[in-house]
Amino acid sequence: MRQGSFRRLREGWQVQGRVIHALIIRELNTRFGRENIGFLWIMVEPLLFACLVAFGWRLIKGPSEHGMSIIAFVVSGYIPITLFRHIVSRSTAVFSANGSLLYHRQIKITDFLVARFLIEMLGGLMAYLFIACILMAFDEFPVPADMGMFIAGWTLYALFSFSLGLVIAPLSEMSEIIEKFIPVTTYLMIPVSGLFGMAAWLAPDMRRYYLWSPFVNGMEMMRKGIWGDEITVYYNIWNPIGCTLVISAIGLFLCRRVRRTMSVD
Amino acid sequence: MIICNNICKAYEHGPIKKQVLKNVNLTVEPGERVALLGRNGAGKSTLIKLIGGVEIPTSGKIARHMTVSWPLGFSGGFQGSLTGYDNARFIARIYNRDYAEIKSFVEDFTELGKQLKSPVKTYSSGMRARLAFALSLAIEFDCYLIDEIILVGDQNFHRKCHYELFEKRSDRAMILASHSNEFVQAHCNKAMIIHNGQASEYEDVNQAVEMYNGL
Repeated sequence: MRQGSFRRLREGWQVQGRVIHALIIRELNTRFGRENIGFLWIMVEPLLFACLVAFGWRLIKGPSEHGMSIIAFVVSGYIPITLFRHIVSRSTAVFSANGSLLYHRQIKITDFLVARFLIEMLGGLMAYLFIACILMAFDEFPVPADMGMFIAGWTLYALFSFSLGLVIAPLSEMSEIIEKFIPVTTYLMIPVSGLFGMAAWLAPDMRRYYLWSPFVNGMEMMRKGIWGDEITVYYNIWNPIGCTLVISAIGLFLCRRVRRTMSVD
Repeated sequence: MIICNNICKAYEHGPIKKQVLKNVNLTVEPGERVALLGRNGAGKSTLIKLIGGVEIPTSGKIARHMTVSWPLGFSGGFQGSLTGYDNARFIARIYNRDYAEIKSFVEDFTELGKQLKSPVKTYSSGMRARLAFALSLAIEFDCYLIDEIILVGDQNFHRKCHYELFEKRSDRAMILASHSNEFVQAHCNKAMIIHNGQASEYEDVNQAVEMYNGL
């Protein structure tokens, strides 16, 4: 009996794996097409955004801040936040946009979210790698001190963003008012994203509140991975892990509710 | 076998609540061909969507003990912005079938030629019907769900559908919604009339058609 249910679970995962694979390819085709650089377009927006802002800061504030190259500092802040903003905007109204695919029973609504999340995450990582390599050639970006730490921070940051997507997607289907307000809230989030500063720059009692944000914890880990011992960082990995688990549970519950009342034409 | 047990379906749009199906029971045995009869908006398509798992019943349970196709209709099941070939590739992937086989069947059945390289949204409804049929026939199911689609298309398409569905796959079960009395009488061995949310089952198709005409 136990073996039977284990086999069923494994088969279920295989089906979901196939579905997500198919959805990713479909999404890349519809969004980027097959002409010119194709799906490499996914890198272009984060690249342009991070580069332009970084050079702006460089002109205004000079070459370095707290011992870090200012271009590298801004890039390390902007690429993750573009990832977050993309995940949120891609989650909005994703179910009704893909409704016709629900004709196939093996496609679950959360598969849409997972497929889009994987595209955004890999695209963001590719953009990061690309920009870092170019900046390293100009000696504007340090060689990462601890790649494992960087990847861990990136993963926690991305997973937390994904869990928010799991909540935003069903909420945006339930109410149009919420759908309209979501873009505004992503801007409100910018001060607690870890984008503009490090926890170490703050007074100790301010720092405590600053570190409540799961984004800040992920960001501090990523910067630790890049600069290593040159900078002081503060983080607690259990904050993003705990927040992700709680918010994902709420999101899955909401998705289930929305699916029951969804009308598909 | 498909067993629908006490299915209810209600739609809510703001304050308006519409009960479409009330306590519907239906059992479909392998090889059985069930016609769904009912006026426009009676709930035929809704029942087909529920059986296909596209929408979820408000209450009640549907048990599927055989493989069931997705509901065949004009929309749904494929993506308008993708080409016919891309849709075939997508279906092959999610149903874990060989793309080359599906591709050759689709080319053969639809006779759409170069059109398969254009986005589906540029197709006419007849062309869509051909593609929808081809894709679902390319994957073998024990039970096919068909939503009025048979009546579109030209003579040639009718002949092909007739051959593929009623001759080659005469052992399969089928649930089809139709307004054509002759068609139902010729092909179905069971009928169900849906009226005011209630469904009544008839073993005798001719009697069901008579009842339906009297509504």
